[in-house]
Amino acid sequence: MSSLPPNGLTAQSASIRITRPGSRRGWPRRVAVAVLVATALFLPAGPVTATPAPSADDGGGAPRTTFVLGIKQDIDSLNPFVGLTISAFEAYQLMYDQLTGTSQADFSPEPGLAERWETSADGKTWTFHIRSGVTWSDGQPLTARDVAYSINRVTDGEQENTAYGNFVTTVTSVEAPDEATVVVQTSEPTPNMLRMGLPIVPEHVWRDIPTEQVKDFANTESPVGSGPFRLVEANKGQYYRFAANPNYWNGPAKIDELIIRVFANDEAMANALKKGEIDMLNDINSGVFESLENVPGITASSSRYSGFAEIAYNLGAETVEGTAIGDGHPALRDRQVRLAIDHAIDRQTLLEKVLHNHGTATASVIPPIYPNLRYDPGPDQRPFDLARANGILDTAGYARGADGVRAKDGRRLEFRLFGRENSEESKKTVEYVRDWLGEIGITVNVQIMSEDNLTELVGQGEYDMFQWGWVVDPDPDFQLSVFTCDQRSYTDGGEVAAGWSDSFYCNPDYDALYVEQKTILDPEARADVVRAAQKLLYDDVVYSVIWSYDNLEAYRDDRFTGFQRQPTDGGSIAFQHGTYTYRMIEPVAATGGDGDRGLGRHLALGAGAVVLAGAVVWLLRHRRRASADERE
Amino acid sequence: MASTATDADAAPGAQPGGGAPRRRLRAGTGRWVLRKLVGASLTLGFVLVFNFVLFRMMPGDPAKTFLRGRQANPERLAQLRDELGLDDPWPVQFGKYLRETLRGNLGDSWSQGNRPVVELIADRLWPTLLLSGTALVLAALVGIWLGARSGWRHGQAFDKGSTGVAIGLYSLPEWWLGLLLLLVFASPAGLNIFPGGGMTDPRGGVDPVLDTLWHLVLPCTTLTLVYIAQYALIMRSSVLDERYAEYLTTARAKGLRDDQVLTRHALPNALLPTLTLFFLSLGFVVSGAITVETVYSWPGLGLLSYEALSGPDIPLLQGLFLVFSVTVILMNLLADLLYPLLDPRVRLS
Repeated sequence: MSSLPPNGLTAQSASIRITRPGSRRGWPRRVAVAVLVATALFLPAGPVTATPAPSADDGGGAPRTTFVLGIKQDIDSLNPFVGLTISAFEAYQLMYDQLTGTSQADFSPEPGLAERWETSADGKTWTFHIRSGVTWSDGQPLTARDVAYSINRVTDGEQENTAYGNFVTTVTSVEAPDEATVVVQTSEPTPNMLRMGLPIVPEHVWRDIPTEQVKDFANTESPVGSGPFRLVEANKGQYYRFAANPNYWNGPAKIDELIIRVFANDEAMANALKKGEIDMLNDINSGVFESLENVPGITASSSRYSGFAEIAYNLGAETVEGTAIGDGHPALRDRQVRLAIDHAIDRQTLLEKVLHNHGTATASVIPPIYPNLRYDPGPDQRPFDLARANGILDTAGYARGADGVRAKDGRRLEFRLFGRENSEESKKTVEYVRDWLGEIGITVNVQIMSEDNLTELVGQGEYDMFQWGWVVDPDPDFQLSVFTCDQRSYTDGGEVAAGWSDSFYCNPDYDALYVEQKTILDPEARADVVRAAQKLLYDDVVYSVIWSYDNLEAYRDDRFTGFQRQPTDGGSIAFQHGTYTYRMIEPVAATGGDGDRGLGRHLALGAGAVVLAGAVVWLLRHRRRASADERE
Repeated sequence: MASTATDADAAPGAQPGGGAPRRRLRAGTGRWVLRKLVGASLTLGFVLVFNFVLFRMMPGDPAKTFLRGRQANPERLAQLRDELGLDDPWPVQFGKYLRETLRGNLGDSWSQGNRPVVELIADRLWPTLLLSGTALVLAALVGIWLGARSGWRHGQAFDKGSTGVAIGLYSLPEWWLGLLLLLVFASPAGLNIFPGGGMTDPRGGVDPVLDTLWHLVLPCTTLTLVYIAQYALIMRSSVLDERYAEYLTTARAKGLRDDQVLTRHALPNALLPTLTLFFLSLGFVVSGAITVETVYSWPGLGLLSYEALSGPDIPLLQGLFLVFSVTVILMNLLADLLYPLLDPRVRLS
């Protein structure tokens, strides 16, 4: 409280010295005027940039409950056809509904705006029955026409297609024969038709925005949606205010207002949680996470997540057209070498020392959070065994040279291993791997670089090994597509352009499995093929998958209750496929935190005002004395 | 040779108050102003070119940076390169860039949902001006006061103490001091009386202006503390220079009190170098304090630059660089133009 004065005091003392009247040269006065002008210039900034007072307390009725979520990466756009950041998609989920939902229990498709659906016998025609009685936030009814309009917008519009095109690759036509029915025709049976993650937008608003102009449309002025919340105020770089939709078809939220507040770093965000300025945060680093554990009033949750990390190999970079590119070490094309390396990676140590056990060791590219789809090698799991790794290399003819490094056909086993500079885990992992590989006679040159740089090198095939990871959708299609021949780099106007493949794996058997799973509508039958595809990747050692990492989250359990996990079994609380937490949280009864905050702040503001007033009085008196001196 | 030079030099002095030298002075001033303006324009031109070249030398494919991980087929990439003008030969690109920049169009951001760069910068300008501007003014005021007092009482305890503290603060990295203040004044482990970051508390409940000022205290104090030293040290040395000047003896002889001698006679003369520094610093108000804004999540241009770097958002970075450089150039020009008004010696030389 006594620490407020510095500003007031110093400013005041300085101005005393300079603004004392009577100087004949007029110099100091001119400086004082300049200072005043400057101050006057800067001060209006407050009111100009400060936002209008929120309607938080002046409703007159019961106090409104406001829940604040902290994010690190700003929402890049509130236009659902433009934004790319994860936080932007969280906002779209709040504002808009999707045709179908994703269940809280296990990510299986569940009714959304479509309350039920049928498929034709050939699996190519889908009939969705749209819920009746749903209204847009402007009061207009939401009908099947809006749904058809939204899907057509994505299939036809260039910008819209860039954002959501992967959901509609097989769609040939979308029609709304009546207010409650949408019929979608596809070129082949499409299981992920039930995971069409595109926003359903109101036709009566968006028909005025042609597709050429959609990327310039900010969508911040009272956007119309049907979701559980609607955007009230957008303050880029600072915060976004959403009000609960009292008429939401799936039950209105129990809070009145949801604020998403932007922070520049993990530490600031964690501090704000401790101070009670925010109520929940997500995706923080493990150091900050550990500082939140055992803090009274805060629950820190290491939640199961859909991301995994791997060591990837250059399996012999070639373009789709068949031209060899890059400078990958030829020995990595040999499965035996990759197999030996895989045996030389101690996943348990990495999990403990690098990830601090905020994750689980895993072997497959579909993480354990999707148990229905994931391939588990079980007894075939390759153990950490340096002796075995050495044995494999001996048998394969890679003999140790005088310096202990293995070589074959005159080529030493000396690999580059790239780590990512923005990830502590990545940097530590590559160090461990280097040391282990040293023990099996492989020299590893570690190099740390930016992700942009790494992406570029991988696309050109100019690498041997690197450490990175993926976040996997509930639908396995995209993740599996990464390993198909078609996703390798291609030649475009004389230059090599990258696809999604970062291994240059190309196996006709795998591609056949990939194509097969794409068209199986029965979830069980499809999962069998998905597992077979993963087994092939595992047996061919395309990646050495290391772990599936957790999402490190925390929330104020002394202020809110009712947090929901997805999957129910230990999954994430925020950034879900759906809005479960935001709809179900409610304030803890008899909360005292808010009152304290208000009181403390008012006390401090009061103290500041007193100091300021004192300074003004002192200044005036001093001036009077000075002018008295002058008159002497 | 020697004698003609002496004649020429002597001429103005020989006719004090005469008409001819005065006219010469005015003509000289005009030429001098013109020279400064041309100099500034040349620098501006260089910055424009440099800005263009710099961002085209950066590695990576801009079209892919723009799409950032979205699946894009070759057709879409080609079309995007066309839209972004990446296929044009570079003289054409430079022409377009120059034309659009002069029109005040800095392009659309790649990472902030295609918003026009000009709009993004304008949105973030005021928070930075508020923070850096306030800090600069405060630092100048406090620094001048500290420096003047230290210099006037050279060698005394106050001088030693304040100079030591000023140098100490000057050598601290801004972000580190920011974190320290944050830890002490804004964390539950410390005093916990100030907010931890941002410009307002979105939950409301307090008058927005007061709330903004309240959030301003810590970042502004951080910057002020770091900036103070420059002013204090320069002020101190210029007061030291003036301290034994003969006109001060005269002033004392008139019977003025010691602090009157300082404020009325020594200070005005000693202020000039400090004022130069102030004007030069004005140019950097806009580029502000990237690290302090990041520590305090202050939504200004510094934080915007930080965000733009992680893309990288080339048009936004390019726009920011341009705005930063132009401000420095303009403020330098302003200082150059104002200086003769403030200091007669500059006019004569």
